[in-house]
Amino acid sequence: MDMSKYKSMFLSETEEHLRNMSALLVAVENDPADRDGIDALFRDAHSIKGMAASMGYTQMADLAHHLEDFLADFRKAGTIDPAAIDHLLQGTDLIEEVLAEIAADRPEPDVSAFMFAAPQAEDAPQNEHRLRLTLRENVVAPGARLLLLMGVFSEMGQIAAQRPSMEELKAGGAHRKIQFVLTGSLSRATIEEKVQCYPEVAELSFSDPGDERAPERRKQDRRQNSLASGTVRVDTVLLDRFINLTGELLTTRYALKTALKEQDLRELGEGLGQLEKLVGNLHSQVLKMRMMPVSTVTGRLPRVVRDLCRSNGKEIELKISGAGIELDRSILEEMSDPLMHLVRNAVDHGIERSGTVCIDVLRTRSHVQLRIEDDGRGMDPQLLRRRAREKGLIGERQAEVMRDADALQLICLPGFSTVDRVSETSGRGVGMDVVRSAVENLGGSLLIDAAPQAGTRITVTLPLSVAIIKILLFECAGKLLAMPLSRVIQTQLLSADKVLRRGKQRVFELKGETLPLLSLRKILGFSSPQGPTSLAVIVMELFGRRVGLVVDHFCGHQDVFVKKLPPPFDRLRGTGGGAVLGDGRVVFILDVQSLLEQQR
Amino acid sequence: MSSRVLIVDDAQFMRDLLRDILEQGGMEIVGEAENGRQAVEQYKLLNPDLVTMDIVMPLRSGIEALIDIRAIDDAAKVIVCSALGQESMVNEAVSAGAKDFIVKPFQADDVLNIVRRVLA
Repeated sequence: MDMSKYKSMFLSETEEHLRNMSALLVAVENDPADRDGIDALFRDAHSIKGMAASMGYTQMADLAHHLEDFLADFRKAGTIDPAAIDHLLQGTDLIEEVLAEIAADRPEPDVSAFMFAAPQAEDAPQNEHRLRLTLRENVVAPGARLLLLMGVFSEMGQIAAQRPSMEELKAGGAHRKIQFVLTGSLSRATIEEKVQCYPEVAELSFSDPGDERAPERRKQDRRQNSLASGTVRVDTVLLDRFINLTGELLTTRYALKTALKEQDLRELGEGLGQLEKLVGNLHSQVLKMRMMPVSTVTGRLPRVVRDLCRSNGKEIELKISGAGIELDRSILEEMSDPLMHLVRNAVDHGIERSGTVCIDVLRTRSHVQLRIEDDGRGMDPQLLRRRAREKGLIGERQAEVMRDADALQLICLPGFSTVDRVSETSGRGVGMDVVRSAVENLGGSLLIDAAPQAGTRITVTLPLSVAIIKILLFECAGKLLAMPLSRVIQTQLLSADKVLRRGKQRVFELKGETLPLLSLRKILGFSSPQGPTSLAVIVMELFGRRVGLVVDHFCGHQDVFVKKLPPPFDRLRGTGGGAVLGDGRVVFILDVQSLLEQQR
Repeated sequence: MSSRVLIVDDAQFMRDLLRDILEQGGMEIVGEAENGRQAVEQYKLLNPDLVTMDIVMPLRSGIEALIDIRAIDDAAKVIVCSALGQESMVNEAVSAGAKDFIVKPFQADDVLNIVRRVLA
């Protein structure tokens, strides 16, 4: 049978499987216990083997078969080690090489050397569990029950250091507790699951084996370092400080109590001052505990770029600087995917063949800036305007007056893409709206700089911490509202005669710059105030340009703990959360930009 | 396919009770025996998936029958039934290879739970 007509299909499908594998390998490397990932890898290798064998490409079929076999062991164990990942990466590389030869109608290279070099798959990892089991109070014949349970455990692995021993149990006596060490391939979760069908068991506790070599422990360490986990490691020095602070707080409480009883205002004032100092200290210590280096999220990027390059044949250098700068863990958590997306965009769409992607992390007093910059093809504001116009995202007039800098931000609008070809799966622009809203939800901002053929720079400005932020309080139409102080450039009381008109738009001058005035009342749908003598103006940045937001009056600022609104209220545009003020009032944190977006 | 169970007890009442519970749990009662000797004979004939075995019985005790059955079939699944206050006998039975035990008076749910997990 003439197989040549299937060749191009074989080439493209194999390529697709290879792309898939390299992406999976990165994923599995990050999460070695990703069973689905390992299974998917196995299936890809299996598919390549089948196709290659049908086409008569024996070297490739053997190679894919080898990878499939190699994966089978890890599939059984449900986890994979780094040495194996390297081998698999090399294997996919080699298949790619063979594929290139086949595509060029050249004979397949000999790949047998590679297969001999395979690292031995480790035996199923041995976990050491120190277990302590307690039976329920009402269990009859507890000794016999423990005997039976030990029979169940002995099927799970090696039992050691059992107390009471089997002999003691057989001899009778009312034993309700037992402790032992179980060594075997099963994970803690599996053991717990197996014991679940024994309602006679009141408690099964696992204590740390304290053995650094135990894989279970290693896995836990990894989990603790990862952002997704709910736990943090705390330096004992920090804990000592907390204890000291708590002690001082208690002392202050007594001082305040005494001062109150004796009506000594001076003492009371001093006590409050002390309290303020201590609480401030406590706050900064707690925040410190939440800080993690940016490298926790940039760490995986070199591999991603390497793999992306591998799959699309580009030569790209990734430079990261300032990754030691620390940010609040919850911010890093939220930024992990957006950052990945920005880098992927730069690699996929920014750089055409070869170039450099730079990630620079900079720290200012209250912010951290992430700059993702590539020296690729950049973007053409004119093209973006036209496209946004075509897609009906902006009006004709808007397109005309829009500055180039503003036009670049258009790619953050939902449903905007600059890629013409349908085959392209992720055009620049797809997902940028998601990236921007993630940044803004954190109280940060995103700015895009680009020029045709001169690269793209995306600047993400983030607050250092989200847990407790300073907010500016203001009133509008009788409502108390707030916004993060980090979004405010300055506040200004503007006398009515300073308000100018440019066409329909009210504007004012600030340090030689003409800024438009927006009425928050109007934005929120309230009627305009009656002829005020002066305007309270918040100077801030909206869609990348400065504006003056007119509110009724300012009500000071406060440190608050901002909480996300619970669903379904989190879907309301215009609010970035809520906070309870010192006096118990609830205030919404306003997100003006999203309010305006809604109106667009 | 439902599991095939042999019930061994010298009391008709207990056999009937266990039969009702197990049948309601979807099991098939393939035979009954009222002493240890009958139990071993029935086991050879019926080769059931599971045996519920009373301990205190005439002719041959449940534990003796258990040992005999295990000698025929090392993997035999035997659950012993005992009354409260017979802990030492339960210990002995478990040491002799009983897969689990139920204690009279028992609850239907407990019996089914134990029987099912032994059959699993």
